[in-house]
Amino acid sequence: MRALWQKLYGWLDERIGFDDFYKNLLDRPEPRGNWWNTLGSASLFLFIMQVLTGIFLTVYYNPSPDHAYESILYIMNDVQFGWLVRGIHHWGASLMVLVVFIHMLRTFVTASYKYPRELTWLVGIGLLLITIGMGFTGYLLPWHQMAYWATTVGTAIAGSVPFLGDFILQALRGGPDLSALTLQRFYAAHIWILPLLLGGLIGFHLFLIIKHGESHWPDKED
Amino acid sequence: MNEETKTQINAKYERELQRGERFWPDSIYKDAIVALGIFLLLVMLATFVGVHDSPKADPSDTSYIPRPEWYFLFLFKFLALYGQIPILGKIEWIATVLIPGVAIGILTLLPFIDKSPHRYYAKRALPLAIMFIMVLGIVLLTMLADYPTVAHDGSGLPGLIQAVAGLVVPAIVYIAFTVMAYTLRERAVRAITVTAALGGALMVAFTVLAMVAFPLPAQETAEVPATLSDQISAGQDLYSIHCVECHGDDGMVEIISGVAGLEGKVVSIINSRDVLYTVNDASMAEIISYGRPDSGMPPLGRAYNPEGLTRAEIDYIVLFMRYTWDDRFEAPYIPPLYPPLAEGEVPTYSVHIQPIVKRYCISCHRPGKDSNAYYMDTYANILNSGDNAGKNVIAGDMNSYLIQTIQHTEILDADGRVLVGVMPPTSQLKPDIIDVFIRWVMGGMPE
Ligand code: HEC
Ligand code: HEC
Ligand code: HEM
Repeated sequence: MRALWQKLYGWLDERIGFDDFYKNLLDRPEPRGNWWNTLGSASLFLFIMQVLTGIFLTVYYNPSPDHAYESILYIMNDVQFGWLVRGIHHWGASLMVLVVFIHMLRTFVTASYKYPRELTWLVGIGLLLITIGMGFTGYLLPWHQMAYWATTVGTAIAGSVPFLGDFILQALRGGPDLSALTLQRFYAAHIWILPLLLGGLIGFHLFLIIKHGESHWPDKED
Repeated sequence: MNEETKTQINAKYERELQRGERFWPDSIYKDAIVALGIFLLLVMLATFVGVHDSPKADPSDTSYIPRPEWYFLFLFKFLALYGQIPILGKIEWIATVLIPGVAIGILTLLPFIDKSPHRYYAKRALPLAIMFIMVLGIVLLTMLADYPTVAHDGSGLPGLIQAVAGLVVPAIVYIAFTVMAYTLRERAVRAITVTAALGGALMVAFTVLAMVAFPLPAQETAEVPATLSDQISAGQDLYSIHCVECHGDDGMVEIISGVAGLEGKVVSIINSRDVLYTVNDASMAEIISYGRPDSGMPPLGRAYNPEGLTRAEIDYIVLFMRYTWDDRFEAPYIPPLYPPLAEGEVPTYSVHIQPIVKRYCISCHRPGKDSNAYYMDTYANILNSGDNAGKNVIAGDMNSYLIQTIQHTEILDADGRVLVGVMPPTSQLKPDIIDVFIRWVMGGMPE
């Protein structure tokens, strides 16, 4: 049994090269660590949790004004552990915004955005904005009173942009008022557009971090 | 940044790596612990706090006060406070687009604006101070989010104090930072630190003042029925209040009696297959909302009647009708209206009488309804209101009007005319409910 396993591992290692992975990804030197440096990976963990729980929710969720609310009730009351998964997705969204924001603050305070990590920061801002966008689009999906009216006001704010306001408003809502089209749009943004963007940018963010290494905690010399 | 500085930075980093740790296992181990902590936290939140529910969206209910996700609250508050500024406050896009746009722009371009190579905090007083005031402002505005800007007596003082805490002080501090950075240059660190500390203290002080001087108005949080059986019960209560007077508690009324203007009106029996099989949920909701104005059923929905029912409430009523009368639906377990009484037990108002009255009597016996001004909405009113107050409920007296009328005995006056008809006028209460009323009155009407 053991021999078989080793054979399989050897065969795969020969083609894939686990050792390279190990050397390049895991066995890297790092400056002396600090608990504040875990916030980035915490954001990543939350993102993965949101993706997994989100996929589960799409199985039962129905993005139409007539059924969205009922489908959420169904998840909460009738689906096995639906309440748990939705609860995790709900709280995970809030926590993710919080954690990503504090992660931004920590890289600001340690001035990690300076040479050579300027691009990491730039991508990071993109991540922060998309994360907030995820929260905004996701909030409407249960189609309850609070969401409906908060989104009405929220999109109206976007509509106050001089000159372009009306266009932006129509583009967000798919018409003058919130309707089935708005819900469809937010749903598409929430489960396809934004997560794909977010995933891609996270990949780039991580690539840059591995390339430059984690910055060290600044001391008097810096 | 010149090449020399870059080489220096890279050399310093190399030295740090020398005395550092390995990514695996040192860093990963910390990351894993934090991830586990977060996972446990999420499970606990999902289990013990749950998701706060709100009723289904109702586009007709424009009176609903929107509440965004908590991380947008500070923006809403900022807009509200900004809107109070004379003249400037009217130009909305300054607050909705310009200021947030500039803030995000600066944050994005930060690496190109803050070009000094220094990373040690003591050499970065200005950026740190700016961020400190910004984050403090966001936190304080979030905390103030639910506090109204206008007091009970209509004075704008609360809004003024909040604006000082969240707009005025930060603005002054930022102007001071700019002036100091340009005039004092190298020596600015101390001045900036002191200004930031003072400004921060002032912001906190004004926030506390705003919260203490004008505390949050007590909120009545309406419970939102989440499970099917809760919704059905809610629907039944709403049905009792809004429909019973015409259609009866079981929907069986054929000829309306006791309702001004509709006396003797013939109506469809709404618990019959005729109605339930031909009217689908959407039309049923529409009938309730729009009424049958031509035949005398008033519009009961918010869309046509400002004091009417919301979309969600109408849906609950429809659910109630389906699950109790429509034989195609199987009702889930619904808890009994009141806990069953033991032999000789005396019922109380809060546990037994209140839910019964709410379901069977309150639709006619509340302010605004013509029923001898006998209001059954509170304990005191049941005992003391009505044209025949004093005779309706008398402790230990089987001749109390209430006890007689619910047992189908009319009260006649001296000339033999009907003073009070049987109660409820259209249908008779079930014996067990009559029994609860009798035991309650005979037992001295405990509260
Ligand atoms: C003021 C008296 C009144 C009240 C209150 C009232 N109705 Fe009616 N209702 C009527 C009258 C009158 C009609 C029309 C008679 C008919 O068409 O058979 C009617 C018709 C209906 C019908 C249509 C029956 C059909 O076949 O067209 C339904 C369903 C109905 N009511 C349900 C309700 C519900 C549910 C409520 C409570 C939310 C309610 N009504 C409150 C008086 C009332
Ligand atoms: C359909 C409307 C309606 C319902 C439901 C109803 N009542 Fe009445 N009630 C009246 C009206 C109308 C009067 C005024 C007397 C009359 O017209 O008979 C009245 C009068 C009374 C009075 C006499 C009040 C006084 O001071 O003169 C009592 C007691 C009373 N009701 C008890 C009840 C109880 C108990 C219930 C619930 C089990 C109930 N009623 C449900 C319509 C209603
Ligand atoms: C979805 C959101 C994000 C994810 C998943 C993520 C992930 C990570 C991870 C895993 C790290 C390395 C560990 C650490 O330093 O904590 C990191 C570092 C970094 N992140 Fe993010 N991040 C996110 C958002 C942001 C944001 C909003 C910013 C700032 C605008 C940002 C800027 C940076 C910078 C500058 C570093 C380098 C820190 C250093 O080298 O010390 N990131 N990020």
